[in-house]
Amino acid sequence: MATSSSEFYLRYYVGHKGKFGHEFLEFEFRPDGKLRYANNSNYKNDTMIRKEVYVHPCVMEELRRIILDSEIMQEDDSLWPQPDRIGRQELEIVIGDEHISFTTSKTGSLVDVSQSKDPEGLRCFYYLVQDLKCLVFSLIGLHFKIKPI
Amino acid sequence: MADVLDINDSVDLDVEDDGDQGVLRLKDKVLRRKGRGFGTGERREHEKKGYESVDPGDYSDESGPQKSVEGWILFITSVHEEASEEDLSEKFSEFGPIKNLAINLDRRTGFLKGYALVEYGEFEEANNAREALDGGEILGQTIGVDWCFVKGPKKNRRGRMKRH
Repeated sequence: MATSSSEFYLRYYVGHKGKFGHEFLEFEFRPDGKLRYANNSNYKNDTMIRKEVYVHPCVMEELRRIILDSEIMQEDDSLWPQPDRIGRQELEIVIGDEHISFTTSKTGSLVDVSQSKDPEGLRCFYYLVQDLKCLVFSLIGLHFKIKPI
Repeated sequence: MADVLDINDSVDLDVEDDGDQGVLRLKDKVLRRKGRGFGTGERREHEKKGYESVDPGDYSDESGPQKSVEGWILFITSVHEEASEEDLSEKFSEFGPIKNLAINLDRRTGFLKGYALVEYGEFEEANNAREALDGGEILGQTIGVDWCFVKGPKKNRRGRMKRH
């Protein structure tokens, strides 16, 4: 299937620990095409949703395009808001010879983004995360016939 | 009549499976690391638990297409950013009724992101559309059409248990 040069890895996590326990959403794409999705919300039901499926190389290629087009690999999280009690986001990507592992707080809206110390970088992160969620929700939602979140 | 699919629980008996090795190998090769997320080892408590998957049914061809709960899904790429739902449904409904169509937008621009998911109820419908439309055109732009999901490596199915 995919050659080693085109192999990459992506993981996104958003969550917080509060009165309903550890609530989070996490997904990852592994180099072999395995997509894993976990969604734990103790508020509505106490069971965690955990799904996995192998995506075709054409999906991995599209994901790779989305990452490269976003130019996230050129950004840096050093000036982004630190994770706090409201929540935490993590984005980890390995592509080519670069490995990013960014963390920040939850992004409420674009207002938060433009008022931050690195609006340009955070905006890049914000839109990429939305596009990634959108892709993953379509893949998982259609494959398993569920409505994520 | 729709086929009934079992939802399986896949249990990772061994955390150090091939998928994990692949990820570790990839991370070892990098030359540049960037970000505050390195060295925080507190997460992953949920990772060892089992993930559900759709029963692959026939185990013969691991790179072959994987059926979804309600049908067979194709992944369309290089879709013109100004294409409409009708542009896609017109083309793809020639091969059978479309059960689901997902076209996502670029959150920044509001135009199409460039990919779409099309679901058919029957394998033959999806396969015919895939063969006929891959390399075809929408608004003058060549599209790619292939399966969205594959069965995946056989070895990862060891330890998978059926839920009763």
